[in-house]
Amino acid sequence: MKSSRLLFPALLALVVSVVPAHAGAELNLFGWSEYVPQSVLDGFTKETGIKVNFETYASNEELLSKLVAGGGSYDLVQPSDYAAEVMIRQKLLAPLDPALLPNLKNLAPEFRHRAHDPAGAYTVPYMSGTVGIVVNTEKVKIPVKGYGDVFSAAFKDRIVVLNDTREIVTWALYTLHRPINTITPECLAAARPVVAEWVKLVKVFDSDSPKTALLNGDVDIGIVWSGEAAILWKENKKFQYVIPAEGAHQFIDVLAIPANAKNREAAHKFIDYILRPEVSVLISEAFPYTNPNLAARKLLSPAQLANPASYPPGSPKLETFRDIGKAAADIDRLVTDLKSAR
Amino acid sequence: MTPATDRRTPRWRARLLLAPMVAWLVLFVVAPTAILFVYSFCERDEVGRVVFSFTLENYRRVADPVYLRIFNRSIGYAGLTTLICIGVGYPVAYCIGRAREAWRQRLLLLVMVPFWTSFLIRTYAWITILKQEGLLNGLVHQFAPGAAPFELLYTPTAVVIGLVYAYLPFMILPIYGSVEKLDGALIEAAYDLGAGPLRVFSSVIIPLTLPGIAAGTLLVFVPAVGMFAITDLMGGARVPLIGNVIQNQFLQARDWPFGAALGAVFMGLFAVTYWLMLRLGAREEETAA
Repeated sequence: MKSSRLLFPALLALVVSVVPAHAGAELNLFGWSEYVPQSVLDGFTKETGIKVNFETYASNEELLSKLVAGGGSYDLVQPSDYAAEVMIRQKLLAPLDPALLPNLKNLAPEFRHRAHDPAGAYTVPYMSGTVGIVVNTEKVKIPVKGYGDVFSAAFKDRIVVLNDTREIVTWALYTLHRPINTITPECLAAARPVVAEWVKLVKVFDSDSPKTALLNGDVDIGIVWSGEAAILWKENKKFQYVIPAEGAHQFIDVLAIPANAKNREAAHKFIDYILRPEVSVLISEAFPYTNPNLAARKLLSPAQLANPASYPPGSPKLETFRDIGKAAADIDRLVTDLKSAR
Repeated sequence: MTPATDRRTPRWRARLLLAPMVAWLVLFVVAPTAILFVYSFCERDEVGRVVFSFTLENYRRVADPVYLRIFNRSIGYAGLTTLICIGVGYPVAYCIGRAREAWRQRLLLLVMVPFWTSFLIRTYAWITILKQEGLLNGLVHQFAPGAAPFELLYTPTAVVIGLVYAYLPFMILPIYGSVEKLDGALIEAAYDLGAGPLRVFSSVIIPLTLPGIAAGTLLVFVPAVGMFAITDLMGGARVPLIGNVIQNQFLQARDWPFGAALGAVFMGLFAVTYWLMLRLGAREEETAA
């Protein structure tokens, strides 16, 4: 889960979609925009002679709607955990052949066999991250540990948060010590007053580039994707990343092969190529999320490993999202209602 | 029936010439609108697939006070934008329309130059100007070093600035079209008959350029109601407008039928505005004639 960008790139991607002339030498990859470095694609083509047709999307929902509609013919997709869960349940994914993926051994065990794919039969972790707090320590002098500290009157109009209704409700559920993946009318009613207070304090809702408001000095504190926080930290050490004490959302973006893929062999080759430490490290350099590849982590510089947004210290409480089906609409209505009340 | 036979050949030719446009309209206007209407009566399953079963549930949800409030607010923002565009655009269009022939084209070109740059880039430029450590606050700081910085970006004011900036040319161009056609003899006649400048403006010039104002209002108001990018980028997505709500149904909530119902109501609104403007334009042309 990177960010739900604007519609324009999505439309562009639709317009330029390419149908392969000969499926034998080509790999149709459907992935997040700005998540696979061009150098990795070029390196794969150079080594295998397989041309990669790279199409992008900006949200899991976009990927899901395209796959369930039966559109496109992709050999490899890159959903987040909960979207992969839906795809497995809907029989949209093909099982992987571990014999073709010797580099699976490089992965840290805690990123595999999670709730979205308990058997690890369909998905391979690509990158992982969290949603946590970024503090501009030059402006904020008090210690910030959790959501409750961020949403305080002291930071009114100095806060940026993701413009993502499920994220916001999840943080409220964490402060209420409720499960984040069971969305009932009762738990939404409990979250309502909390979120109502919070939205009044927020200055910017931005999922695409929440770091911009922090860099521009328009806000001093935020709840953002860890990748954004890692970039901020690289830019200036005054931006500290904190995993909220109440618990935090962890996302695992995976690689998976659609059931109707034409070139499964090339897809397996690509997955295994990405799992090589020297390739995986290129991804870490371009997009400083948490790399689940232990062998690749050994190649990272001490500075990269010390980035608290990429590799948070300690053992925080992290949970992945599960698919909540139609409850997404209830969450959307709740947050829309509270936001428009001001 | 010789006249009919005479006309037949050109009529076929005319149809042939019209065919590409008709095909375009059917493919890209009629068909998508039909799909929108059909979807708006459908349901969706857990994954977000549209299930074809008839329901009025989506329209019942549109009538939810939450969305009515957002509709009202969107209309408010668009209305304010339209008024400011008329206030700012009319004098500009008038000056261009009454300028010397040689200058008109150059001035019009200046109005259109911004369109050569992507809309998103121009919006980001506004962010650079309005942000707290931005150009505007830097300028203020130069002249009044002690003054507290403006909080402009991510406020409703910023949204209106963005909307006016984006749609102003759509007001200027149609008004210019009307002003250019203005018959100078009518204005002179009004003066000869003893009217003062104010009277000439309100009784002669305004009625004669009303079709331009009506067309401009339509071109500004309708897209301004549905705009979502400016609210997100310059308003910090704090207050959702109807465009944001519709976008959310398709991208986040996986609820296409509800998004389609919102879109259908939105199109109804467009049709009513269009009808009102047409009547206004027609009535004024009648009185003018």
